[in-house]
Amino acid sequence: MPTIRVPSALRSFTGGASDVEVAATTVRDALTELDRRHPGIVARILDGGNVKPFIRIFVGPDDIGGLSGLDTKLAERDEVAIVPAIAGGRAEVSDA
Amino acid sequence: MTTLRATIVGAGGLGGPIAISLGAAGVELTIADHDHVELSNLHRQIQFTSMDLDQPKAARLADVVVAQGGAARGLAARWSADTADQLGAGADVVIDASDDPITKFAVADWAVANGRCYVIAAALRYGGNVMAGAPGVGCYRCLFEEPIDAPTCADAGVLGPTVAAIGGVAAAVALALARGDRTLIGALFVFEDLRRTADPRVVRFAPRPGCPACARAPSLPVVPHLAEVR
Repeated sequence: MPTIRVPSALRSFTGGASDVEVAATTVRDALTELDRRHPGIVARILDGGNVKPFIRIFVGPDDIGGLSGLDTKLAERDEVAIVPAIAGGRAEVSDA
Repeated sequence: MTTLRATIVGAGGLGGPIAISLGAAGVELTIADHDHVELSNLHRQIQFTSMDLDQPKAARLADVVVAQGGAARGLAARWSADTADQLGAGADVVIDASDDPITKFAVADWAVANGRCYVIAAALRYGGNVMAGAPGVGCYRCLFEEPIDAPTCADAGVLGPTVAAIGGVAAAVALALARGDRTLIGALFVFEDLRRTADPRVVRFAPRPGCPACARAPSLPVVPHLAEVR
């Protein structure tokens, strides 16, 4: 099954899991399945059915914007990476 | 031999390792940061000590670079529309090491408009991103469009060693760009969790049609190959 790589900023939705396998044949289906299993997560990724402007989605090394967008087909071993814009350096974490 | 020059925006957790490694590599540095060293910085901004508390970060980081034989000047300044031309003047590569999304876009936009190579570095929790930018390819604004609601460390925090690791990668990318290496241009290095793997996901993206930053770019790509400048 394709695997969704969940960015650290959204792992609170997945119980900390960084990888979620989904039975899906398109990116859109994969996100639907992700949200079914982890309700609310896709609202942080999509807005009005489109990918939010500060988030990009890649299948393997390729931006879906250069493919077929959310309708990009997925193969059995594809990895779907959700990559948000981030800033960093200010705070610290205490759990590591 | 041509002297390479870089401007580093931010003298904190990312800017420290970037400045020290580029300075040791012989790159002349302009370091800009308006902030002062605080006790809460020391666990991840390891270029500073308790002796630096309340001192201007940019000047103290420049002192560290110079003490190790490098050349650097530190300026207590924010990157803005008013200061960008001064701070970026003469730089072969401009590196954003700030913790502010708006600054990242401003640095990238200025670099694109002025035909400069640039690196945008960011760290969050246990990972981070490093983008290698240059005129003629998709820019940071092509990638993320605008700085709204981007997750920050204020939301999720960052582990101290993460910024050193991401900063090291950013320095290596910046050095390659400054030397005219085009192989990395347009690549986004995504480090998802350095506790698990140091191997980045390397992704590329196309220019976004209608990107306002790219519309202000010089008409010709300005990035020469090393062989063309020496």
